[in-house]
Amino acid sequence: MFKNEEMEINLGPQHPSTHGVLRVKLRLDGETITHCRPMIGYLHRGVEKICENQTFFQGQVWTDRMDYCSAVANNLGWAEANEKLFGITVPRRAQYIRTMLNEFNRLASHLIWLATHALDIGAMTVFLYAFREREDILDMNEAFCGSRLTTTAFRIGGLREDLPPGFEKLVTKFLAKFPSCLEEYENLLSENRIWKKRTVGVAKLSAEDAIALGVTGPVLRAAGVPYDIRKAFPYAAYAEMDFEVPTKTEADTYARYLVRMEEMRQSARIIQQCMDGMPEGPVMAKLPKILRAEVNEVYHATEAPKGEIGYYLVGEKGSGNPYRFHVRAPGFINLQALPKMAEGGLIADIVAAIGTLDIVLGEIDR
Amino acid sequence: MSDETLPQPQEPPAAPAGPYVYDYAASPQRQIVLPKTVPLPSLITFLAEQKAAAEADEAKWLKQLADFEVAKAKAEAEGKDAPKPPVRAVPRKDDNDLKTPWPQEAKDADLLHLQDCLGGKVEEIFEQAGELTCQVSKESILEALLLCRQDAELNYEMLADQTATHYPAATGFAFSVVYHLTSISRRKRLRLRILVPEGFVPESACAVYPSANWMEREIYDMLGIRFANHPDMTRILCPEDWEGHPLRKDYPTVGLGQRDISFREDRGGRLELIAMQKAGQLGINLKQPKAE
Amino acid sequence: MPTPTLTQFIVITLVQCLLVVIFVFVVVPLTVFAERKVLGYLQQRLGSTRVASGHVGVTGWMNRGMWKWGRIPVLSYWRGIPGLVADILKLILKEDVIPAKADKFVFFIAPALSMVSAVVVFAAVSFVPGVFFTFPAWFPLVGGLPVSGGIADINVGLLWILGVASVGVYGIVLAGWASNSKYPLLGGLRSAAQMVSYEVPLAISLLAPVVLTASLNFGEMSTRMAVGLPFWGLVPQILGFLIYLTCGFAETNRLPFDMPEAENELVAGFHTEYSGMKFGFFYLAEYINMTVVAALAAGFFLGGPWLLPFGLQGLLIPASVPFIGQPHAIFFAVKIIFMLFTYIWVRGTIPRYRYDQVMSVAWKYLIPMALANLLLAALVRCFAV
Repeated sequence: MFKNEEMEINLGPQHPSTHGVLRVKLRLDGETITHCRPMIGYLHRGVEKICENQTFFQGQVWTDRMDYCSAVANNLGWAEANEKLFGITVPRRAQYIRTMLNEFNRLASHLIWLATHALDIGAMTVFLYAFREREDILDMNEAFCGSRLTTTAFRIGGLREDLPPGFEKLVTKFLAKFPSCLEEYENLLSENRIWKKRTVGVAKLSAEDAIALGVTGPVLRAAGVPYDIRKAFPYAAYAEMDFEVPTKTEADTYARYLVRMEEMRQSARIIQQCMDGMPEGPVMAKLPKILRAEVNEVYHATEAPKGEIGYYLVGEKGSGNPYRFHVRAPGFINLQALPKMAEGGLIADIVAAIGTLDIVLGEIDR
Repeated sequence: MSDETLPQPQEPPAAPAGPYVYDYAASPQRQIVLPKTVPLPSLITFLAEQKAAAEADEAKWLKQLADFEVAKAKAEAEGKDAPKPPVRAVPRKDDNDLKTPWPQEAKDADLLHLQDCLGGKVEEIFEQAGELTCQVSKESILEALLLCRQDAELNYEMLADQTATHYPAATGFAFSVVYHLTSISRRKRLRLRILVPEGFVPESACAVYPSANWMEREIYDMLGIRFANHPDMTRILCPEDWEGHPLRKDYPTVGLGQRDISFREDRGGRLELIAMQKAGQLGINLKQPKAE
Repeated sequence: MPTPTLTQFIVITLVQCLLVVIFVFVVVPLTVFAERKVLGYLQQRLGSTRVASGHVGVTGWMNRGMWKWGRIPVLSYWRGIPGLVADILKLILKEDVIPAKADKFVFFIAPALSMVSAVVVFAAVSFVPGVFFTFPAWFPLVGGLPVSGGIADINVGLLWILGVASVGVYGIVLAGWASNSKYPLLGGLRSAAQMVSYEVPLAISLLAPVVLTASLNFGEMSTRMAVGLPFWGLVPQILGFLIYLTCGFAETNRLPFDMPEAENELVAGFHTEYSGMKFGFFYLAEYINMTVVAALAAGFFLGGPWLLPFGLQGLLIPASVPFIGQPHAIFFAVKIIFMLFTYIWVRGTIPRYRYDQVMSVAWKYLIPMALANLLLAALVRCFAV
């Protein structure tokens, strides 16, 4: 008597909660998603091609603009990949400063995630609370390298400049107040019944699926796999740091929320250790004016806030440009898991799933 | 001061009506220089190059010695002072923190195990910059991946990254496709590599590692390598109707695939005029499109 | 007191309607402004502090004026007030876009339906106890006649309120349908299901006061709830009040139940395709509905509209005490303001439910609880009153 039809609907590319220009083609049965296909590329700028036509040094500004919420982490991966390509040893002080800034960046990125994810689910106040703390971190970025968002913080071989005077004071002040801020967010969310109803058991992704789909970062750790590149393949000064890799086994949105909140605590711990054990010395290795590569290929992966960010570089003998520059963007790979997480759920769940994946389209489309 | 002494203002070229097409073939950015070398890291090539360089060095030294002997004999014959004996050049040492990582012979157990298992299908194994590379023949990549995934000694659970590089100057192949595998339990990374000629369709890794899905779509989109048995071999970053594959070395940094620029919004024709003038100054051809 | 003729009656009713409309158009912008400021306070920011436009036009003129005022520190916090005028101007002057494939007539009628059903509810709500004011004797036609505080003091006021308020859902459903677009359609479907579901516990929770007071007249009910039942206006009805409040949130599509317009899922829900004053009507209707729900809560659960809550008046404070001993419209206003503040407070605090959870809250929890509450009220009626 009645004809049952599925409705096809486009979530995005202009939609409040797709975090940019993601387009997800959904097929709906009522409000239940029966088919989901993410479509990307609306922000494709050809970063890889551009970097292949620029020198090794010039590539850094493009890494800022990939994942603009965690520019420092991208800079770090890029700098270390180049250092691996050329065989450069970075001074220890530079390593420490890099580690510290990277962890600040992780805090900033996770705060943005918390803010937008909570806003997607409807908790509006957390958004502004989280941005309040992020502002302090951006101020510190500004004090260190002059820019707030697209930092271009590092150089191949170390840092351009040492920490500015008075930076310790900023860090101490921030670390003193940050734990209470975290508590504030958790008071609003962790035991909130509606928050738990919206997140517990939503957008599940088992450990097997996550590994098969190449998902990394907090999403993988919330499935119970303690894979953190900072521990597994230590880089910068992480080998000397004492921190834990938080994991949960529930593999749902709530577990990812808890993992990220705990990660913020650990980041604050790492920052404290960096401040305490900051060695003296130069911040830049001795390098020739122009770096010319030998035939070599490297893949260097670091733990960005969103997951494993890997840089694949091929050097050409005597050339100042990378012959091939490729970025393994964590968001790009993680987004592959979206259909698995969203199918069978409701529209409201796909919003939670997109939020919990913590995607930034600048990085996915490159 | 008469008006004739002043240079006459340049007449803007007559503006033809209609939408314009930028002639990319004429633009300076359109001109591409194809790479002449094949920067494919390889122990065999490296050793051969080293050997050739050492031989050349030796030959040069011998020639210098021979020249010296000749000069010495000549000087003796002419009764002059003997010339200075030649000094063998020592490579200059730079005072910097650069230690170029050269390819080294494979000592890692994983690589040796791979070679044992795959036998003749392994073309080359070596280590460089602490990274393990195993080049297998292009037909047996799926077998190699399956081995890496399932062998208890290898157990590489995750395909972290897959990408390709274009080598237009190479003979016998055009692309290298690399697979970066990660073993989470053993904390190891491995790079598998195949060399692919133009038009060859390698097996898709999706059957073994589902994460290859989008990465192979990206490779197809960016470099034009198709993969066999892939569930969804479509473009991912560029629109479906895009021409060319941007990450090939013969793809210009400006041009191909770019849409025609339309000045329809420019009601007064002002932007159009400026564009025409600028194009005229730059010597760029803004020619009319052919009538459909 | 002379009995008014039919003409006089009509004129007086029109005057009353005009007053209600003015009331609505004053209260709604102030609620919007309060929402901005209270949310700002909850979220550690200032809220709106300026008018949209820069330097030109009416808003620019207001902006410049307010900047001068803003030099005074306390006033600088209130610089956003002219923004309300600017908002209304914007809504009125904005281009009214109608989607090409929309059902034009229904598209046009939907916001009107929403708005009208929201405003008409006020017919049965009396704002001021007794006579609001009396026309002076020199006034033509209606000189010397009194104007009462409510438009229609009908004896089935509650039925009128519930009946008319439930027409409001048609506005939303039709808007979703007529837009001929997918997101509004989903929003419309959601609202149909949600509002129909929440009508049930809302009505049942309001039945409890009816049972207790044996009346359907708004003024009479609320007076009896306050004075006739000492303390019981609130105390035995605390459950009923909470159910009513929850349903009120759902009926007005406010967080945590703003399913029809869940902005992070459905862009803007049923009014995605609306612009200009048509959108403005939906916007107004939402805030008027909030006021209605607040007024009903004040009347039925917070101890009568014009009296102090909790039966304080008449019990503890005798009527001989000036001002607070007497029924007064100010008490009503304070209660409404408190309820509106609660709306905003909740919006700033908790996240949004998922659609299926909203439905399960209504059917699994609220309806049984409302029935239990009704039973409780019946028991109170039988044995205590």
